Order: sequence, then structure tokens, then C-alpha cells
Amino acid sequence: MNSQRTRWAIFASLFALMVISYTITLKWKIPTSPYIQKSYEFINSLPPSSVVIVSFDHEASSLPEIQPISQIILRHLFSRNQRIIGMSLFAEGTAIGYQTLNKLANEYGKKYGEDYVFLGFKPQHIAAILGMGESIKQVFPQDYLGNYSTEIPIMQGVENYQQIAAVISLADGDRTVQWIEYTGKKHGLKILGGFTAAMITTYDPYLSSGQLYSAIGGIVGAAEYEGILGLPGKGNRALLSQTAAHLFIVLLVIVGNIAYFRKRRGEK
Amino acid sequence: MTSRIPLVVCLAAGLIMFLQYFSAHPVARGMFNQVNDWWQIIFAFTLFVGVAAFINNSLKAILRGKERLFKTVSLLGLIGMPFLAITGGTKIGSPFLWAFDNLQAPMQATVFSLLAFFVASASFRGFRARNLQATILLAAALIVLLGRMPITTYLSDALPELTYWVQDYPSMAARRAILIGIGLGSMTTALRVILGLERTYLRWQ
Repeated sequence: MNSQRTRWAIFASLFALMVISYTITLKWKIPTSPYIQKSYEFINSLPPSSVVIVSFDHEASSLPEIQPISQIILRHLFSRNQRIIGMSLFAEGTAIGYQTLNKLANEYGKKYGEDYVFLGFKPQHIAAILGMGESIKQVFPQDYLGNYSTEIPIMQGVENYQQIAAVISLADGDRTVQWIEYTGKKHGLKILGGFTAAMITTYDPYLSSGQLYSAIGGIVGAAEYEGILGLPGKGNRALLSQTAAHLFIVLLVIVGNIAYFRKRRGEK
Repeated sequence: MTSRIPLVVCLAAGLIMFLQYFSAHPVARGMFNQVNDWWQIIFAFTLFVGVAAFINNSLKAILRGKERLFKTVSLLGLIGMPFLAITGGTKIGSPFLWAFDNLQAPMQATVFSLLAFFVASASFRGFRARNLQATILLAAALIVLLGRMPITTYLSDALPELTYWVQDYPSMAARRAILIGIGLGSMTTALRVILGLERTYLRWQ
């Protein structure tokens, strides 16, 4: 088989595998990893009506992987009657954050402005993060819908990070690093993260040092969280396809190496 | 003289911004807020520069007849999205959010998901145990890939534990070394700029 045919065979097999596995609904019983448990316990430990910042620091390209995490986190926060300030440090995260927050808030009968608000996007993320330490209303004078921050009920009594219980950054890159560096230690704020699986190891040193309180990584993390809450969602649904794709890649590595060693032996 | 003025401005700005961090005095806080506002304003203007450069390059390519269709579509997207936002707003149910959900998000997710196919192809064709280093890399990758799969926990606890060990020790040590190196490098560069030793930002120097 020539290389072009091999490539097409791999692409077609992977595509077929993903489509078939996605149509199968399987209820996984997944063991909970320590950081997922820590995130869950932290949100449970918050007093009701605490104000939590949820920052949608990702682009549309990573939506299929980040959305299961953001949905289960928001479900947990709303079910515990926490108040949420949504925002984004990526222009694209604005439309995603606004819609996700609204959808989940409607599920739990939450009222915009009182139980949650979406402040929108600010350019220059470091300046925005630093400025919010002085005054959130000064950095975001208006919310995404154009309402003045000073007139929004949830923003009454919220001046800066002193009134915030935690920041949850949902990121597909290194935006959360800036949250850690500029708010974590300086303002004594707990930073939690929701990341794509490819990014989770980037945050390992911060998790190990405690600078990042806890993290939920990729589809597996979302599925684990859904498992604790007993709310199987997009994470649980995508887990089988992801596992099938990973096993397929492992198989390809093994087959590729067998072929390589055979060829090398033949050359000798 | 002309080269000294920017150096003095840089030194003063660097020292003031460094010292204000340790002060809670209203003057220091007010100054910090002012500088922060300016920082955001300047950054917002750089977005305009980016948009202008994109339009300029696209128009040039269209006039030359190079990738005419792709460039035209991307220019239409650039004009269309702000137009929809300005005319129809950005609330739920607006044409802007419809276009974002049904055009932009699926297209970007599609491009990103193509990576899975390239990874699969590359894993077959390139991920070979050619020498000792490549074998160690391959073994570590397979351990982590298999150990992070929930399915392996049904078989044994050893593989997930081995995965955590790989992540917590060899991988973490390398990452910490890189992070510390970046930190020290950033501090050194910042000090060199503030003290006027690094002058490459002054183009004529």
C-alpha cells in the first residue's frame, strides 16, 4: 500500500470509529481523580450567594472540549445558589460565555443581573486582570448588554477581588497563568481551572505548588465531574469516542513500529 | 540628546511602576489605574492596526488574483460580523449570534479537530523507536496516553499510578526548569531595558 493510500485508510478508519462510537451511549463509572474531587468539594464548601468569577478564556475552536467542563461547573454553581460574574479575556469567548451562561441560568431559573451577569470582553488581559484588583466596575463600566455596572444588583457590594470567592478560568491556552500570577498570591484569591487535555500538563507545576487550587482537564475531567454530580452530559457522551480514538492511535503506533523493525531487519 | 529622552522615560516608568506595586497610597493607586487604562486603550488600537493590515494584504492578494475566493470570503466575514452586530445587536437570537454559532464556531472547531487525523497519521508514520531517546519518549507517551484513559482503571491501578509518576516527576522537573528559566530571563531583560542596557527598541541605536 502506498503512503497516500495508507493515509486515507487511517483518516477513514478514524472517522468511522469516531462516528460509530459517538452514537453509542454508555454510562461510564469513572473513578474520580483528586483534583476533580477538590474542585467539587471547594464549590460545595462555598457559602450560598458567594460571588464567583467565571472567565471564558478560550476560542471557538476548542468549544467541543471546553463546553462540557463549563456546563458542568455552571450547573454545580447554580445548583448551590452561587452568584456568577461571567467575563472573557478572549474576544471569541464573549459570545460563547454569554450564551452558555444564559442557557444554564435558564435551566435553574436564575435571573440576569441578580443571580448572574455577563460583563463581556476586555482587550489586554493583563491590564484587565490587574485593573479588576482595584475596581471591577472601572474595568467593566457596562455589562455585555450595555447596562451600567453600578446599576446591576449583583454588582452592588462587589468592588474588587476582596468580595470574590474564587475565579474559575476556562482556558484552551495559558490565560489562566495570568490569573494565577496577577491575582492568586497578590489578592489571596483561589484560582480554579478548566482546560483542554492538551493544556493540562502545562499547569502541573502550578497545581503542585498550590498556586492553582484545582483543575478539570478535558473530556475525562468533565465526565468525572458529571459522575460526581450524577448529571451525565456532553463529557460522558464524548468519552467513548475519545477513548476509541486514543486506543486507535496506540494501535497505530504499535503497528507502525512493527512495520519499521521488520523493514529494518529486511534491510540488514 | 534625542536618544537620552526615551531612556530616561523608560527608567522613570520602570522604577515608578515597580515601586507603586508596594504602595497602597491613593496617589500610587490612582497612577496605576491611569497607566492601566492607557495600556488597554493602546492595546485596543493595535487591534485596528491588525484589521487594517489584514484588509490591505487581502485586497492586494485579490487584485493580484492570488487565492481570490478565500480572501474575498474572509474579507466578507470581517465586514459581515461587525455589520450584523451593529445592525442586529448581540443578544440571544440576534443574527450575529446565529452567524457565530452556525458559521464561525463549527468552522473553527472543524479545523481544530482535523488535528486528530494528522496526529493519527503521524503516530503511524513518524513515532518510531529509532534510538534510545526516541524509545524513552515513545514509552512515556504510551504510558500517559493509556493511563489517562478511564478504561485502563478497570484493568489495573498500576498504569494510572505510573502515569501520575511520569507527570509528577520527570515531566514536572522539566517544566519547572523551563518556567524558572523563563522567569529569570524575563527579569533580566526587564532590568536591562529599565537600566538602558538593552536598547534594541530604539531602532536607530
